[in-house]
Amino acid sequence: MNKNLVLVLLLMIASGASQELIGQCDPDHFSNACIPKLAEGYNFLKTYRIDGEGGAREKIEYSYVFTKGTHYMINLCSHGGNVDGIVVSLFDSGRNKVATSKVNDEFTSAIVYPCNATGIYYIQYTFDGSTTKCGGSALGFKR
Amino acid sequence: MRIVLAVLCAVALVGCRSDKKPDEQAFQSSIDSLKNQTSSIDTELINSVLQQIPSPLEISVLLRETGKGYDKSLLNSPDNAGRYNTSHKMALNLGVYGTDLGYTNVYQRAPDGTRYLKTIKSLADGLNIGQFFDIETIGRLASNNKNMDSLLLLTTQNFNDINAYLQRQSRANLSVLLLTGGWVEAMQITCEMSSKVPKNKTLADTIGEQKIILEQIAKLLSFYPDDEAMASLLKDMEELKKVYERVTINYTFKEASIEVINGVTMVKDNSTTSVEITPDDVLAIKAKMTEIRNKIIS
Repeated sequence: MNKNLVLVLLLMIASGASQELIGQCDPDHFSNACIPKLAEGYNFLKTYRIDGEGGAREKIEYSYVFTKGTHYMINLCSHGGNVDGIVVSLFDSGRNKVATSKVNDEFTSAIVYPCNATGIYYIQYTFDGSTTKCGGSALGFKR
Repeated sequence: MRIVLAVLCAVALVGCRSDKKPDEQAFQSSIDSLKNQTSSIDTELINSVLQQIPSPLEISVLLRETGKGYDKSLLNSPDNAGRYNTSHKMALNLGVYGTDLGYTNVYQRAPDGTRYLKTIKSLADGLNIGQFFDIETIGRLASNNKNMDSLLLLTTQNFNDINAYLQRQSRANLSVLLLTGGWVEAMQITCEMSSKVPKNKTLADTIGEQKIILEQIAKLLSFYPDDEAMASLLKDMEELKKVYERVTINYTFKEASIEVINGVTMVKDNSTTSVEITPDDVLAIKAKMTEIRNKIIS
């Protein structure tokens, strides 16, 4: 192996490209990338890590209290700037599905939910044909 | 080939070490007054409840919407920070000041915001979590009202990072105190505002809806029965819950309608909640909240 190849490999590690090389998931990278993608007027609230652990986890779930009269936006970020088969669904406290980012076989990049009922909501991430099962998400709100 | 692999491993290890991790040893010693009880507690359950608690920022935005002007007298003065010399008090009031900072930011009061930031940094340093605040960047943003959105974003991220860090360190008890302090302060400001505009139904309903959050906070505090300060807070919250017994939240579920616009799922929520709360209930809640808040900031 020549010196140039070693140098290239070292540079790849230093630049963070090693994450892709060895197939590790860096959900924080995608979550942070999602924050500026919240639509104008939305205040950032939280980021969510989506790590399917290479297929070991079929769903990842978080919960949050949504308030009536508030608009919430939950977006998705993954490899290559698309959603890579990641689906976010929203359930109310009674586990009724309120919304999903897969509509008529179309994957959308975000859900906008104008909340009309205060309560605990479950934000569930699943994988539908995802190649990496890795991504991030941000939650924002506006009145 | 072995040499190449060794070099790669060494670089990777150096890369890991260069990650700015806080001084964990110093952090542990700074909170020795808080006994580590998490071994007997379901950490995962605590973390799942913690993440549900909404940001006090939501309430600050709502308050601005009511049209009532900025009122500094509702906040905990930064001058009180010197009183807080235990880890419990520091964590609680870090939450209180976090809410106050959000309030000043939402109303675009940069000079006041700067004072709160300095106080927050000082308390965070006392808990050895001050490294999460880049005071230079924050100070630069706070110097101009035009940067308030960026400042809001950055400080929200800082508090999220602190909570995530505390939970990773099995010190979620501090996170519980931080969030409790933040919630109590937001409630106190809302109750005070509501008393000035008693006919404002949105504010009264917001106070009523906090019954849901109160349940979660009481649940969180109940995980630490052997911690005297947290047990005392729980007792206060249980008394507040009794006041809230008269408040009812009715939920009606109706399937939502969905359409896709420009690649985004737009939901029309057809479910509703309605809050049954009387002016007397609001006054009783306000009285109890004032009592709890005074204990926290004293």
